[in-house]
Amino acid sequence: MLDMHSVPQQQPQGRQFNPYTENGGTILAIAGADFSVIAGDTRQSEGYSIQTRYAPKVFRLTDKAVLAVNGFAADGNMFVKKVRQRLEWYRHAHAKDMPIRAIARLIQTMLYARRFFPYYVYNILGGIEEDGTGAVYSFDPVGSYERETCRAAGAAQSLVQPFLDNQIYFKNQTPAAGTSFPSHLPLSTVLSLVIDSFTSATERHIEVGDGLEMYVVLARESTALQGVEGIGGVQEITMTEEGHRVFVIRRELKKD
Amino acid sequence: MSIMEYNGGSVVAMVGKDCVAIASDLRLGNQALGISSNFQKIFPVTDRIYVGLPGLATDLSTLRERFRFRVNMYTIKEEREIEPETFARLVSSTLYEHRFGPYFIEPVIAGLSKTPSGGVEPFIAATDLIGCLNFAKDFVVAGTASAKIFGVAEGLWEPNLEPEDLFETISQTLMNAVDRDAFSGWGCMVHVITKDRVITRTLKARMD
Amino acid sequence: MANANGGAYSYSLTVFSPSGKLVQIEHALAAVSQGTTSLGIKASNGIVIATEKKSSSILVDDSMLDKVAVVCPNIGIVYSGMGPDFRVLIAKARKSAQAYWKMYGEYPPTRVLTQEIAAVMQEATQSGGVRPYGVSLLVAGWDITRGPTLYQVDPSGSFWAWKASAIGKNMVNAKTFLEKRYNDDISLEDAIHTALLTLKEGFEGQMTEKTIEIGVVTVPTTAELEGRQIGDRPKPTFRKLSEEEVRDYLAL
Repeated sequence: MLDMHSVPQQQPQGRQFNPYTENGGTILAIAGADFSVIAGDTRQSEGYSIQTRYAPKVFRLTDKAVLAVNGFAADGNMFVKKVRQRLEWYRHAHAKDMPIRAIARLIQTMLYARRFFPYYVYNILGGIEEDGTGAVYSFDPVGSYERETCRAAGAAQSLVQPFLDNQIYFKNQTPAAGTSFPSHLPLSTVLSLVIDSFTSATERHIEVGDGLEMYVVLARESTALQGVEGIGGVQEITMTEEGHRVFVIRRELKKD
Repeated sequence: MSIMEYNGGSVVAMVGKDCVAIASDLRLGNQALGISSNFQKIFPVTDRIYVGLPGLATDLSTLRERFRFRVNMYTIKEEREIEPETFARLVSSTLYEHRFGPYFIEPVIAGLSKTPSGGVEPFIAATDLIGCLNFAKDFVVAGTASAKIFGVAEGLWEPNLEPEDLFETISQTLMNAVDRDAFSGWGCMVHVITKDRVITRTLKARMD
Repeated sequence: MANANGGAYSYSLTVFSPSGKLVQIEHALAAVSQGTTSLGIKASNGIVIATEKKSSSILVDDSMLDKVAVVCPNIGIVYSGMGPDFRVLIAKARKSAQAYWKMYGEYPPTRVLTQEIAAVMQEATQSGGVRPYGVSLLVAGWDITRGPTLYQVDPSGSFWAWKASAIGKNMVNAKTFLEKRYNDDISLEDAIHTALLTLKEGFEGQMTEKTIEIGVVTVPTTAELEGRQIGDRPKPTFRKLSEEEVRDYLAL
């Protein structure tokens, strides 16, 4: 007779592949009257390990649109690649760059197309609107979006966003009698706030640090650069002759 | 669900020039439901020490009484007022007595210490719910909006603020932080402790 | 108490006699006054406590005998009376000081520790099955609130603060001597010499570094206190003098 007890019982074993991970970091964008600043740190981490100290999260799409992606880095890189592909097709078909308003809608469509297997990515799109105003669009992973003046996303969103509420929207502040708060700030102020936001986030959040990349998009004939001549490490990366200009400013952040 | 989010609430304390400030929101909630917009979380320990007790409201009442009891016993036995650092140690030991069944409170302590030469020195400290002390030189935070308070405080705080500037800094820090926190808000209360007096103000804030 | 054996109120129970006395306590005090003399003097910048150390035989290794005990970095105690009782009290006092440190992150003020010891001694006068401690103590210490303070604790559990006091065999003479010698602005160095001089009065045999024990409380400067950071170990303010130091003081 077969010894039933000696046969190991076959237990059902569940195995699950988790297709997502979270790679830390923070991104941030602020719109000015005729410019836009889009920034992100360059640390990429998984859990408590730093994968690299330089992994860009901010990408120039056109001379008037820059996209910052944060969350699952693999999804983010693939998503930027696909957006760029769509923008190139658009150029071939229309012989011009896609307006930022249209890019925003395109991104929504592309994100929602993956409603049931989303890109695990928070997007912030910054640039210049067709009317020449600075624009920031922010998205959730499945394509819900809105145009705003400023937005932070990623690991240190909770640290940075209330600071921006206070300093950009002047929340909880009252203007002196007979005055009002500006709806847009000058570029020098915006850059200082971005740098302060990231140094603060670096100080208190382990997933933020190493390097800072700030993209500045200027509208045609913008004079926003006046008053920021003192800033070092500015590199122009404009591609076309249309008049919009794109710059990138790189800064070091603490590496601990 | 985090136990801190059951009733919600946040506290922050900051160091200034010969002064300290401690502030809290005024919300008492039952998870997402708001119950009270006048729920104090900061209490005087002596004329120069205040303690903030964010966390589970029932433990707040218990701990508040426990600290009152222990500080009164100390004052009578030793015939002297307790110093902020000593009180912080007392808070820490009291919480650690319940290491394996803790009070769900993260106390924040702010006060002015007497220096041997007769002056005052600002003192702040915070502990986790089992009494691990954090003696910070700039600011300490606790509660459901702690990450947000850290973010704003790191951007707004600077060393050696005068009492009125410190008041503005701590108020702006707390208000903007709790406005982004669903479990904190519904008004704020700020105490600035100086050598001569304690300035207490209630702030009008967003009520949503 | 007319009877040599103490009468009906002198046995294991500490009960009042009709005249309102606790005879056991008086017996304990008698045990103290048979003990070697100890004294303490508070100076303007510190305190000295000193005692005579007598061993019953020259064969005893007296370097092991300790009559001045460190309780915690700021407090020391000397006794007259029964050695074993003293050691029990010291163990309790040290525990109490450490418990205080655990609770408050600092060592107890002299007055608080004295109160704790006095409470322990009082309990032995009111509990069943125990006898009072057969010692009187001189507790010397420094703390931030009261500065240098000197207390005496008796078997009854009563305690007083003194500028100078003596306990044990020659306490009456020693106190009279101290009363003559004491003044409020005596320095610690002078106090140590006065202490040795006082002990010399009733000393039997040779005063050497082997037969004298001295402990001193020093007062930290404001600069030393201001420089203290959170988490720093407190600098000891009570210490026992080494045999070399005692020898030097005796030589002067």
